[in-house]
Amino acid sequence: MRYTVELVVPDDCEVERVADGAAVDVERAVGEAASGPNGHAVSLAGETFELEVDEDEYVLWAARNAGVWLPADCQQGWCCRCAGELRSGELDQTDSRRYFEEDRDAALHLLCTATPASDCRIRVCQYEAMLEERASHDLPPGRSKR
Amino acid sequence: MSEENDHGSGSVGHGDTSQRVGVEVVRERGGDPEAIREKLVDAIGAEFTTYYYYTNLRCYLAGKEDYKEITEDARLEDRAHFELVMPRVFELGGQLPNDIRDFADRASCPDAYLPDDPTPENILETLLEAERCAIRTWAEVCDMTRDCDPRTYDMAQRIYNEEVDHEAWFIELLSRERDGEANPAGHFVRGEPGDAPYSTNNRLNESA
Repeated sequence: MRYTVELVVPDDCEVERVADGAAVDVERAVGEAASGPNGHAVSLAGETFELEVDEDEYVLWAARNAGVWLPADCQQGWCCRCAGELRSGELDQTDSRRYFEEDRDAALHLLCTATPASDCRIRVCQYEAMLEERASHDLPPGRSKR
Repeated sequence: MSEENDHGSGSVGHGDTSQRVGVEVVRERGGDPEAIREKLVDAIGAEFTTYYYYTNLRCYLAGKEDYKEITEDARLEDRAHFELVMPRVFELGGQLPNDIRDFADRASCPDAYLPDDPTPENILETLLEAERCAIRTWAEVCDMTRDCDPRTYDMAQRIYNEEVDHEAWFIELLSRERDGEANPAGHFVRGEPGDAPYSTNNRLNESA
């Protein structure tokens, strides 16, 4: 089963896309973002990117395989760097090492270990929001970073 | 003969100890020194907790002395990584969390708990996944610092080198233990336990 996942990139998020899927550093390549041709990364800030994701595929890796270099760190569902806000649809977070019901209640997810259970619309780059949410419930790592 | 003047000092005032040129040059090159240093706290939190957890995992490899020795190398080198980067946190204007619980909470990699069924296979899987998280973490630090912070980048790439070594070791051992397959790392263990050939910090004394 495959689902359509829409990634909504906020204006202040430096996510970029490379046409051929080759990985580039999202945070470093800001200055190059405007030059789309010749294989350079193109900024997706303020844009929405749609991709197809298998039911057993992590959203992060479906995006990166499509050349969209979403932020991530541990890729084990722990550090929260990859956090996104689920605007619609359903994500399965079973494979995450540290995920709380409070996160789900706040519609915040860890995309590195999230598989789609329906078509989804996700606002990416929500690391700071995740830290705030965790801190508000006295949960790690937010409580130790606020 | 002219009077001697205070020399210029760029964006940091002459004699000003409230600012650091070593921070401002990072910013001037497009880096975010505060973000880098906070990421470093998270990353060395993971090295420190891993050092602790590997201490326990190692003990449950009794009877598999080769596995124990290699886990010991990885354990000591993770401590070396903490020791190497810790001063950089202060250099960048940061500090260590006062409470070790906060430090552990912030660790950017999962706790490497002893598996419920602590077989060599399960322990090796835990070790392997811990190393993989570390590789990703230090690759991210390299990406953040490559063009703006040569000092942090140098540390991160040294640690990255050793984490890749560690992954290769545990792939080799797990392949043999679990699958009965040869999957060589292509190299041998360190000359001394926890040699940390890339990342050893300046040592205060032989016990450090």
